[in-house]
Amino acid sequence: MEESKLSNSESLQIITEMIGQAKRNMAKKGSFCFLLWGWVVLLGNFGFYIIAKYQLFPYPYVIWSITLPAIIVTVIYSMRQKQGSIARSQLDNIYMHLWMAILIAVVTVLIFMPKMNYSHNAVILLLAGLGTFVTGKLIKFNPLVIGGLALWIGAIIAFNVPVIDQYLVGGFAIIVGYLIPGYLLKRAESE
Amino acid sequence: MSDYKNLDPLLHSQLRLAVMSLLLALKSAEFVFIKEKTGSTAGNLSVQLDKLAQAKYIDVKKSFKGKKPLTTCSITKKGVLAFENYVEVLKGYIEN
Repeated sequence: MEESKLSNSESLQIITEMIGQAKRNMAKKGSFCFLLWGWVVLLGNFGFYIIAKYQLFPYPYVIWSITLPAIIVTVIYSMRQKQGSIARSQLDNIYMHLWMAILIAVVTVLIFMPKMNYSHNAVILLLAGLGTFVTGKLIKFNPLVIGGLALWIGAIIAFNVPVIDQYLVGGFAIIVGYLIPGYLLKRAESE
Repeated sequence: MSDYKNLDPLLHSQLRLAVMSLLLALKSAEFVFIKEKTGSTAGNLSVQLDKLAQAKYIDVKKSFKGKKPLTTCSITKKGVLAFENYVEVLKGYIEN
């Protein structure tokens, strides 16, 4: 870019173009976490449902131990992303804090699930819907916005079915609200 | 073209304006990123970043990434105000 005197329209063009460049850099590679957690929660929900419903094993909740390696992978992946990133947007920060806040809320819900008569799945779907909806709006990616709405519908259904069936509802809601938008996001990132 | 005298001369330059516009939308950016996005040469970019840093429009941090030197830039509050002011004056010219 050469130094020269600018006309008003050239100034505007530079501002618009550069802000566009910065935007294109934002929130890329977000699909990895959506897909990882989509599959983990899907396996957890369906696994729990099948084990508990057909009484295959006395402790169905052990299926949720699959979240431990997923947490480790997420932490390592996020640290590498932070180190490898040559530009960090305000949006990246908002995005990270949003999901951290949701994680804290989910852990709190899980701690107090006996007090909620084990309807925690419906509340977790509400929280996941919130994160997905806001993320979709932030990065202007409509499949995630629709995904957030799907998770909220899943939450409403989950509130109205027996506890065991909430796992089945949760699994289907994650496919529609998390995995499908996650794969669409992955495709959009590679374009 | 002739009526740009009220525009901040520090911002009314192709490369400096491009750098400020880029940094406005980002929390921070490395030198190589700015160089790539603005399509400038390393030498010219260094000179222009120095001018912006001297005016305290941007904050330049020098560190190391492994063994390589790393320059990271971010816009300051003064820089954001100057940029907003520049856009306001520009809007005034266009509306007239």
